[in-house]
Amino acid sequence: MKNKEVYRFTAGGRFVHWSHAVSFLLLLFTGLGVLSVIFQPWMSIFGGIQVTRNIHRIVAVFFTVVVILGFIIGDGGKQLRRWVKDVVSFDKDDFAHAKNFPIEFFGGHKPFPPQGKFNGGEKINSAITLIGMLCMGITGYIMWFAWAFPQWLVQWCYPIHAGFALLLTALLIAHFYLGVLHPDSNQALKGMINGWIPSQFAYEHYEEWYLNEVKDVKEREVV
Amino acid sequence: MTTRKTVFVDTSLCTGCKACSVACKAWNDLPAEENKLIKGYQSQVETTSKTWTYVRFVEKYENNKMNFMMLKLQCFHCKDPACMKACSSEAIYQTESGYTLINQDKCIGCGYCAANCPWEIPKVDPDLNKTFKCTGCIDRVENNLKPACVSTCQPGALHFGERKEMIQVAKARLAEVKKEHPKAQLYGDKAMGGTTYLYLLLDDPKVYEMPVDPSTPVSLTLWKDIIHPLGGIAAGAAAIAIAGGVIANAARGNYRAKREAKNTDTDSDQGISS
Repeated sequence: MKNKEVYRFTAGGRFVHWSHAVSFLLLLFTGLGVLSVIFQPWMSIFGGIQVTRNIHRIVAVFFTVVVILGFIIGDGGKQLRRWVKDVVSFDKDDFAHAKNFPIEFFGGHKPFPPQGKFNGGEKINSAITLIGMLCMGITGYIMWFAWAFPQWLVQWCYPIHAGFALLLTALLIAHFYLGVLHPDSNQALKGMINGWIPSQFAYEHYEEWYLNEVKDVKEREVV
Repeated sequence: MTTRKTVFVDTSLCTGCKACSVACKAWNDLPAEENKLIKGYQSQVETTSKTWTYVRFVEKYENNKMNFMMLKLQCFHCKDPACMKACSSEAIYQTESGYTLINQDKCIGCGYCAANCPWEIPKVDPDLNKTFKCTGCIDRVENNLKPACVSTCQPGALHFGERKEMIQVAKARLAEVKKEHPKAQLYGDKAMGGTTYLYLLLDDPKVYEMPVDPSTPVSLTLWKDIIHPLGGIAAGAAAIAIAGGVIANAARGNYRAKREAKNTDTDSDQGISS
């Protein structure tokens, strides 16, 4: 297992992930100006709030297109569809992993049952992201084309859009920590860069997936 | 000391001449807009960024008799304005004289006020990306002049004065009008904390296609009073948590220590060497 890597994320899947990352950051930044007046002076970085409003909409369309195509096209699409299927099937083993989350978060460790391709904690993060982005998209387009919708619906879009924006930001902060700053889990970042993660790491974190799906089949020696 | 002013709109005297709408345009330098006849005398569907007041015509038939009702509409200038609460840019403010105004320098045209007004009065100008609505002729009323609409009203359907005084006038008129129109009622004496434009209606507000009980949308209260502070706390808590995480990991020596195998004490690990 040492000096070996397994293939975790296809190019299509990684492309959608990083498109999401860039889009989310741009959407968040350009949205801050209407979230709170405190952030309005920052909007001049992009040329003022009338410009950030347009950037917000352009990026939203770009991201919508990427996600829709990403889920349809090729291997990446297959992987994304499988991801959603995995997230939906959240079982007691996933729960057993997720409940130890705070311990792992602060650098401790407690044994958990073997996990599939995505562990319990990742499934929760994924579920909130999926629901959140779906809600952000729907409410966003309704607010953009407000004239086409009844007033009460537009009114409800504001708290939903703002609420998920803040929740997803909190989630992003934690996601960034686990992917980059956390001394153990940050090995997963390699999987999002070139697609491969250390076999040892895969075995420890996704035992079921590693043993039943990718061991030997999609494994390579590290030179 | 500035006192709260009120415009009393006595719909029982309105003849639907639309002079108020014209006077408003003249005083506020608003251009004419292309209109078409909607129904009856109605040529204006709603307020626009360039038409701040208009007359709504209602034809109500009862026992083969038509009751022709007219209603001048403009910003109500609420005591507790939903638009001000919804504003993203702190552009909407109130005067002691009872007017709700938009600071055009701060307005960004997000339209949050327009979407949350119970009467859908403010309108975003698509070219300027600024929101406009009736200013109550603040430049006139704070210089001891009547608003343009009031000063032009020929049948005397519009009155301007101190709020207390106007409420007295309204109540007296209501008692009078009720003899002929039993469903007559005051509108705006209590709604939204009491609106500066106070109405005497001849019938139920529904007949005039107005909200019976105008109020701040629940979604707006949820948004500004609950979700914003909670969301801010959540984002702040996440930031504190990751700082704590880095410190905890550093304290445990996790950044320096050579990684040791983890999660290897479960049963299924037997037979796997690392």
